[in-house]
Parts: sequence; structure tokens; C-alpha cells
Amino acid sequence: MAFAPRRPRAIVRAMAWRPRARVTGWCLALLLAGAGGAHPLLAHHSFAMFDTTSQVTLSGTVTSFEWTNPHAYIELDVAAERGAVTHWSVELGSTSILMQGGWKFNDLKRGDKVTLVLNPLRNGDPGGLLVYVTLPDGRELGNGPGRGRGTR
Amino acid sequence: MKVPTVAVAVSLAMLLSAPVQAQAPPDLSGVWAPYRGGRGDDPSLAPPPASPIVLKAPYAERYEERRAAEREAVERGEPLATDAVFCMPYGMPRMMSVALYPMEIIQRPQQITIVTEAFSEVRRVYMHEPQLPVGEVPPGYYGHSVGRWDSETLVIDTIAIKESVPGYQGMPHSDRMRITERIRLITPDVLHDEITIEDPVTLERPVTYTHAYRRMPGYKMVEFVCENNREYVDENGVVRMRLREN
Amino acid sequence: MRQTRRFRSWRFAPVLGPALLLAACAAEAPEQPASGTDAVRGLNGSWEAYPQRSFGLGTADEAEAPVPPPAPVPEPPLRPEYLETWQAERARNAELTRQGLPPVSSGMACLPEGMPAMMLAIFPMEVLETPGQVTIVQEAFNQVRRVYLDEAPLAPEDAEPRFSGHSVGRWEGDTLVVETVGVKDYVRFRNVPHSMNMRVTERISLVTDDIMQNQVTVEDPEFLTGPWSWTWMYRRWPGYRMQEYVCEDNRYFEDPELEYQRLRID
Repeated sequence: MAFAPRRPRAIVRAMAWRPRARVTGWCLALLLAGAGGAHPLLAHHSFAMFDTTSQVTLSGTVTSFEWTNPHAYIELDVAAERGAVTHWSVELGSTSILMQGGWKFNDLKRGDKVTLVLNPLRNGDPGGLLVYVTLPDGRELGNGPGRGRGTR
Repeated sequence: MKVPTVAVAVSLAMLLSAPVQAQAPPDLSGVWAPYRGGRGDDPSLAPPPASPIVLKAPYAERYEERRAAEREAVERGEPLATDAVFCMPYGMPRMMSVALYPMEIIQRPQQITIVTEAFSEVRRVYMHEPQLPVGEVPPGYYGHSVGRWDSETLVIDTIAIKESVPGYQGMPHSDRMRITERIRLITPDVLHDEITIEDPVTLERPVTYTHAYRRMPGYKMVEFVCENNREYVDENGVVRMRLREN
Repeated sequence: MRQTRRFRSWRFAPVLGPALLLAACAAEAPEQPASGTDAVRGLNGSWEAYPQRSFGLGTADEAEAPVPPPAPVPEPPLRPEYLETWQAERARNAELTRQGLPPVSSGMACLPEGMPAMMLAIFPMEVLETPGQVTIVQEAFNQVRRVYLDEAPLAPEDAEPRFSGHSVGRWEGDTLVVETVGVKDYVRFRNVPHSMNMRVTERISLVTDDIMQNQVTVEDPEFLTGPWSWTWMYRRWPGYRMQEYVCEDNRYFEDPELEYQRLRID
């Protein structure tokens, strides 16, 4: 008997496949990275460049929001206490994965003031992997397919 | 006993028309996302476990050494470079499951085209054609695929993947590797792709593993152009991220 | 009633006949996908640019011209404030090329052409028609664009900027009318600047069974004084198998001082 899939079913069904909030794709990827398995979830690179055991909180002004592949980037000017500005490059996932996590291409723009949490680069350079960001309108967006904050 | 005429005629008609129903293949068209299951999901939808990779000597030893080196590098925080650092696509068979990126199946009678969202990779399966001899196809990332229907299962045979295309789980392969896939609907919204890899040069025996996918109704595939690649390999062979100054 | 063992075959004829006919038809029927029709609009298959651009590998003989080829793409009707700069850049690039120093281009970085340039079909093109969608794959840079049928067009401000934009289409008789918005502003055709409000309209139809025409119109009031229109044509290439295109050995780079393309020789 042939299956003949009908028209799309209820949206509830479409959302049922997403990983549960507590076990996001990145979390799983990191677990498996530790296990040494080349699980497909690792995608194209491991996140070993970043210290995923530590988090840094930054507040600053967006100088550009690059909605690109293979990664999107938030470029951020962060003012230190005495007015010196450090520029940070913050890496996000690919646009497809971000969209699955609720991002839109125009959620950030030059001039926006944001607070974000990242896993910093191990080598101490001013860069890191986004954990989550608080947008000017107060929304929080993570860096994976689950909505809301990431769990790292 | 007199058999009713009508009963015989109806039986005959049903018998003769049965081939018509069996000929209509399932429609796999649509967008499918890798399905890795979650709490509360039906276990019968999950793919069976993969068989182990058993390589011939000396490939087995080299493979283990490479895996160990990769693990060490990750632990040091200095991952070894992969092709993706250079924006190289996955090719077959790895394109068939990349993180959570969806894939689109465009099914037409003579050709089934599969487009995966990561790196926007395209493979084409030519239906009901004999496979070409291995030596006649220039090796590439996607090879040459022919397909047929085995009842409700789409069976695909792929040859001519070039050696430099990373193999399943990073295993070494020759350009004589052959990939057989059996793709079928487990439910109307869950698809399984059972992949078997054979390689007379590097593998002791075939490897079989299964990817599961969940239908994404209404999802519109997104473009992927590798235009902002900030990763590079420094003089020590370590992958680094290029920062901006402003 | 008197019973008989004689097989009265003629009684079965009214039922057997149609049954056999049905079986015969079934045996000859080509396989159809379970959903929808095999949209027989004639656009399916492999195509190459007409007149031929495939560097001598296509089907066209130079002397063969079944239909008149389209006129060249006209000059873009740029607004005065942009026209001079564009002309100066064009002149500079032509001069560099003449000196053997080809100017930097997106292709040098293996970036795709995007819309509308990809529809030039510098390499062959594949069109796939399925219910609700027309998918076009360009062999050059392996570009995939999708035209969704029976969907409302996106407002430009809601369109995620892409190389290929967002396309919706509808059939008007035998013409597929496609509207595309959301092309990244640095994705240019002939280096013509445009805004995110640029709209590309294509009217695609068959001129003969083997010749397809694409009447392209670009509108962008911010940059153009009026619509910019031209026609591209394609010739069917039966049996051509689309090749893969993976930019794996790109040896071109930008000369850091002079901004022209160089070729790395190892």
C-alpha cells in the first residue's frame, strides 16, 4: 500500500521533532566532542577554539550584524571603565540554524545596545561563541535551534 | 457447484489490475530534517544502531591514530583543520546528515534530486537506469547515482566518490567505494535512509548505518553561501578565528 | 435448473474485456509519483544559454539559429547621481582587462552570481517542476533557486537578504511570471548598484519546444530612472547530465596593492 502524505499537518506536530530544551544540539555536540565521536551533530567543526566552561558577559554597541554563512557574527564595541573601547567578534551559528532558533535577519543592527554572554576564545583574543544575547527590545535569543537562552 | 459469474469476473479484474496499484511509488517529496529523537518519542521511529567500521590493514591502524590525534587536539582546544574550515562541502555520504540542517527531496519520475541546506549541496539520482562501470565516471563529491523502487523502498546505488572527500566517520576510502541506500517512509512523516558502504580496498566488511528524518511541513529551504568564512589554519596547523578590528 | 459444465466463455466477455484492457493500459502506463501531476509545462530538463555560451560543448552549431537570438542587454537606466560612477568603473575595468589585469569579481572568491545574473546561464541550467514549486539549478557555482507557486510575494523589508533573493511565481496561460525581491545589495549584475527594494520580474515561456525565453525586468526607483528590461533565451539540451561544481581548487586572489585578480602558481 503506498503512503501518500497529505497536506501539512498541525503546527504542533511540526514542532514535535525539535530537541527538548535541556538537550540542545550544541550541548550534545560538545558531549560527543568529548567522547571523540564524529557524530554528524558536530557539523563542520568542533567548538574547541572556545572555552565552553567559562562565560563572559559583555555590554556594548553593535557595529555590525553579519547575517552570513558559514557563521553569523555580532561585532561589538565594548567600552571599558576609562572609556577605552575593545572590539569583540562574536560567532553565532549558521543562518539556517539561527532561524530555527527564532532569529530573524534584522533582529540586530548597527548602533543597537546589547548585553550578551559568550564562551571566550581560549587564546585570549577578544572573540567568542555566543551563548545568548539580550536584544534592545528585551528578548533573549540563544545560539541554537532551541528557543530562548542556550544551556551551556 | 456453479461459481457466480460476477464473482469470477470481479476476481479476475482485481487480479489483473493489481499491478497498477503496485506501480505507484511513494512520494518522498518535501523537506526533511535530521531526526535524533527526544524524550517521549516513539522508539520504533528511531534508526537501528550502526554496524562498526572494520578496516583492512594498514588502514585500520592509521585510522585509529588519526582519531586519537583528533581527540587530543580537541582537548587542547586546538582542533585539527577539517575541510569545512575551507568551506568545502561534505559530498557523499556525509551530506545526508549534517547537524540539524534540513534536506529537500524533489521527486520526479526520471530523476530524484536531493538538496541539503548545509552548503546547499545537490545530488541527483537517475531512476531506472543501469549503473555505469566504476572506471568510466570521473570521481567527484557526489558520484553517480542510479535508483529503483523495491516495492515501497527507494534503492540507490552510488559510485565514483573521489578519495579526498572525507568518508563516513572520517574513514579512509578508495574511489571504488560503493554506497547503497535504502530509503523508505517509516510513517508518513518519518523517513529512514539505511546506508551501506562497501570498499574492496579499505574495508574488511560493509558498514551499515541509518539516518532518520522528520518531515518539516511548510518549511522553506534557506540559502547557504559560504561567504563569510573567518576560520583559517595558522602556521602551526591550528584552526583560528579571524577577528575584526571594528 | 439444468446444470452444465460447459464453459460459456461469451458470458465473461463484457467483464473480461474491460479487465484485460485495464491490465494492458496499466502495463504501459509510465510511473507517476503518488502526489499530483507530472507538471507537463515543458520547462523540465537541462538547458543551455542560447546563443550558446558553453564554450563549444553544447548542442548548438554556430550556423544554426532556429529563432532570432535576443538583443544584447541594454545599458542600465541609472539615475544621474550613480551613472557617472558606474561608467567610470566600467571604463577602469575595461582598461585593466585590456592590460591583462582582470578586475576583482565575486567569482574570484567563488561567490555565486545571484539574481538576476545567474539566469544568464553561463554554464548549463536545470529546471525541475514539481507541484507548487519550480526549482532552478545553475551549474555555475551550483546555485539553487526556488520559485514558489501560489504564494504571496514577500515585502522587501521582510525578506532575508540572499544571493538568489526570494521568488514567487504564477502561471498566466503558458507564461510563468516570477517576482524576486530580497537580493543582497552587494550582489550585482554588471556591477550595477541596487537597493534592497530592487524587484526582478521574469516572464518565462517556451518559444518553441526547445527554446525558452526569459523576459527580465529590473525595477529599483532608488537607483534606476525606469524599468531595465532585456530577454535571455535558452536552448534545451536533451540528455545533458548536470555536472557538480565544487570550488575546491580556487587559485585566484586579489592583488593587495592593485586590486586586480592574480593567479597563484605553486
